[in-house]
Amino acid sequence: MDVLRNKARDLLAQGQVQVVIGYEAGTSGARRPSFARSEADAARLMWDADCVGNLAGYLTRPEIKKMGKAAIVANAATLRALLQLTAEHQLAEGAVLALVVTEEGAVLELSNAQAVTEQVATLPSSLSAADREKLERLMALSREERRAFWEQELQRCVKCYACRSSCPMCYCGSCTMDCNRPQWVPVASHELGNLEYHTVRAMHLAGRCVQCGECGRACPVGIPIHLLTCYAEESVRRQFGQPAGTSATLNYALGNFRPDDQESFIR
Amino acid sequence: MADDVFEPKITAFVCNWCTYAGADLTGTSRLKYQSNVRIIRLPCTGRVDFMLIQKAFARGSDGVIVSGCHPNDCHYTSGNYHARRRWMVFNDLMEFMGLDMRRITFSWVSAAEGAKWATLVNEVTDHLRELGPYTEYQRLLNAGVA
Amino acid sequence: MSRLGVFVCHCGENIGATVDVTEVAERCKHMSGVAHAEDYKYLCSNPGQNKIKQAIQEHQLDGVVVAACSPRMHEPTFRRAVSDAGLNAYMCEVANLREHCSWVHQKADSTTEKAVDLVRLQVEKVKRNKPLDTIQVPITRSALVIGGGIAGIQAALDIADSGHKVILVERSPALGGHMAQLSETFPTLDCSQCILTPRMVDVSRHPNITLLTYSEVEHVDGFIGNFKVAIRKRARMIDEELCTGCGECLQKCPTKNVIDSFNEGLSMRRAIYVPFAQAVPNIPVIDTEHCRRYQKKKCDRCAKACPTKAIKFDQKDEILNVEVGAIVVATGYQVMSTDRFPEYGYGTYPDVITGLQFERYASASGPTQGVIKRPSDGKEPETVVFLACSGSRDAAKGVKYCSKICCMYTAKHAMLLKHKNHNAKAYVFYMDIRAAGKNYDEFVRRAIEEDGVKYIRGRVSRIYEEDGKLIVKGADTLLGGEPVQIKADMVVLASAALPNHGQGELAQKLHVGTDPYGFVAEAHPKLRPVETTSAGIFLAGACQSPRDIPETVGQASAAAAKVTALLSRSHLAREPLVAEVNRRPAPEYSTCTGCLLCETACPYQAIGHEDIKDRNGNVLKTLAKINPGLCQGCGTCVSLCRTKAIDLHGYSNEQVFAEIMSL
Repeated sequence: MDVLRNKARDLLAQGQVQVVIGYEAGTSGARRPSFARSEADAARLMWDADCVGNLAGYLTRPEIKKMGKAAIVANAATLRALLQLTAEHQLAEGAVLALVVTEEGAVLELSNAQAVTEQVATLPSSLSAADREKLERLMALSREERRAFWEQELQRCVKCYACRSSCPMCYCGSCTMDCNRPQWVPVASHELGNLEYHTVRAMHLAGRCVQCGECGRACPVGIPIHLLTCYAEESVRRQFGQPAGTSATLNYALGNFRPDDQESFIR
Repeated sequence: MADDVFEPKITAFVCNWCTYAGADLTGTSRLKYQSNVRIIRLPCTGRVDFMLIQKAFARGSDGVIVSGCHPNDCHYTSGNYHARRRWMVFNDLMEFMGLDMRRITFSWVSAAEGAKWATLVNEVTDHLRELGPYTEYQRLLNAGVA
Repeated sequence: MSRLGVFVCHCGENIGATVDVTEVAERCKHMSGVAHAEDYKYLCSNPGQNKIKQAIQEHQLDGVVVAACSPRMHEPTFRRAVSDAGLNAYMCEVANLREHCSWVHQKADSTTEKAVDLVRLQVEKVKRNKPLDTIQVPITRSALVIGGGIAGIQAALDIADSGHKVILVERSPALGGHMAQLSETFPTLDCSQCILTPRMVDVSRHPNITLLTYSEVEHVDGFIGNFKVAIRKRARMIDEELCTGCGECLQKCPTKNVIDSFNEGLSMRRAIYVPFAQAVPNIPVIDTEHCRRYQKKKCDRCAKACPTKAIKFDQKDEILNVEVGAIVVATGYQVMSTDRFPEYGYGTYPDVITGLQFERYASASGPTQGVIKRPSDGKEPETVVFLACSGSRDAAKGVKYCSKICCMYTAKHAMLLKHKNHNAKAYVFYMDIRAAGKNYDEFVRRAIEEDGVKYIRGRVSRIYEEDGKLIVKGADTLLGGEPVQIKADMVVLASAALPNHGQGELAQKLHVGTDPYGFVAEAHPKLRPVETTSAGIFLAGACQSPRDIPETVGQASAAAAKVTALLSRSHLAREPLVAEVNRRPAPEYSTCTGCLLCETACPYQAIGHEDIKDRNGNVLKTLAKINPGLCQGCGTCVSLCRTKAIDLHGYSNEQVFAEIMSL
């Protein structure tokens, strides 16, 4: 941890970056995001197994961008989000310095997309074993049971949009949900509107989701909402073999095609 | 229309160059089909946003048909290929969410396939009549209105 | 609030017999936003159209729905009528009550009900229509012709004669293509060079034609009316301005053993050369791959011999950037390499040659001054066997298609042999004789009946050498498959015509489609045979499929006519049904996030990006930008855009949404 704090302090002191985005101790033993802008701030930074949040979402926020060049303490999902954001032209190549704490406690500085890509290639999938099992369990159910499951879950949604705010890939300034000419999705949090909202979000993240699970963690009423986007992403991987967040030049799976794509469902 | 026969409401999204023209040919060939379908004309299946399908159900459709040019025949060379890919993911996700995919029919009907259009509409209509109203979705609508 | 007019057509009995048209019109009157509704017997007739025009004036309508036949039938008619009455043409929509309703359903209440729904759908749409103006795209009024064979020459001359500038690019050092290699031409037996050379000279002298030989298309950007082309002008190592074409240099070159491709490898040329005596331009090229100066760093004999000091050993390739409004692809063909036929022994037997090689032997300007000789010992052959369909119509070893020209040139070859050597014997093995064309069948009959060429219907299974002769073994299928064996001095293969080498790469640069064989694909096989799948790019000649000279010339003139029609206007009017990225006030500028995921989804490469800058030039935001000149309006990008930043005129989100909600 000291290595990380020292590194952050040096980077700030030498003016190489103006902010280090990382984790610090939160209330009740959890970790919360930390924005270290001075050498003193750097002393608050932490790194341990509880640092699971994906901080990449902050990088596209105007208020963070204004701070100047950023370094980010990155776990696997954060690194993937960095690549995907670069592929989607939201981050300039080399604009962010990724700090990776190795198992040995050393800090790697990944300053460009190539370095991040190489690092990501060595990492296991972001989708946790528990989530993978949940997906499989749901798929094993009958259609009616799945419908009942989601109906049950989604009716609790209060449409607070915490899932959207926490998602690093939901950087759009003006979401379809906010579009009122026409009003595609009803604003109120009733069953139809909730179903439509979460379908739209999953479809919009298919081929883009880095499976960090941040949306599920953010949900205040505990809907495992990340399973939808993770499933949509899995669907893209399975059918087109293109995992999101593995390259800064990734071709968007739904913006491309193969003439021999599956066709059996079409009459 | 007898009262005891359920008449499904069907919305069809078709491309201008193949299926719309194919349905025109059904007309010029005077082939008959059931009158439940309402066609919405779009330039290309590439224009069929999955949200259009969603809204058709939200408006109370019991079934949706999406149809365009066969692969390789797209007026815009590849709009239908892009559409197909999107449907592959959409279908999969809908399946995962437990929605009734028997309510959506994807099809390629060319400008020369007037007969295919008539058969398609008849089969879809009959099938939906068998399935009955899409109550599990329409229940959500009512919840929404309330 | 809209003031819409709805006009319901009976189409005589066509709609009226099945749909209660009066009822439909009556119901429409009560739809929100409808100010006027009426029905009429035939709306497409002049009185019908006048009714619409009058109603627009009388009721101050701001939009019109015509409920009649398919919009694919009369949409233009009604839009014109609406526009005549002073409304924007795009404020009119057509509900399809005939093809989609009355013709496909029985007379019933439900049919009338459907008709009302179909009208309501269009009423809700047209309420959200916006006046649109046709898009005017300026046209660069000049053309590029790629390929300097007879197709390219003819197309360039025709376009130039119509008063437009033409750039003609040919990759070899001289004009002429395959036609320059031919001896005589069927069915008239006039000499190919004699009819071609004047055309080549016309090209070089034409004030409207810029001829770039030894040059290739490097890169193509842009779209119909506005192509930007980079052309690589390869270094000839000769100053074209200074060179007089005297030929002194050619004599002095010590390298004399370079295979002469113009003579199909039947002779040798020097390292500095002009492909043939009548070449246009008559300017030599130094073949640096064989020239001693480049290979061994010495020798300047040609430079010493040059009276005008035109030889420039350090000349470099040049990239010329040109702008043109139209492109003609006329890249021709190549013949199938006959080493793909081991049973015909090519490579092992020098006296088995291709039809093009025979042309060079038969040509007065060829390696033997027109005397037919055989490669192995230079003797004049007495017995020559010609094999038609060598590789053509052969799905197993060659190509599936018929190469079209071989039947005719094989008859010509046999005839030329007999004319040059009256005692020679000519045999032709054939599958079918395809001699459709003016005076073509007569020509083949003449070969058989007057010149005594022996035609044998059957294929050859094997050729082998024995005692200085080629033994040709085949079967005569007209005689029940009886084996035939001929001792020949020479065998000529009519080998299949293939897409020219480099055709695939060029097609990619131009974004034009190709067929499964690699030939350039036409936009429509019957109705648009000289247009490619890319607007503004046309084709001529054998790059589309094998064809003979008359057909090639006809097609070249057709392509030129298309180009001329395009270039005759200063602007191109396009339907305004294109996609557009929305704009919002600062600091959002647009709901577009600049993710550019739409870029690859566009089938027309119409999506690029633009930077929004402040007055100091700092980039504030990057947005997707759609080129309305390239966009064809498919809407694929619209359904991909997560923030609904892209919308499609004529099929906008609001329009389609309202249509769905009307049901």
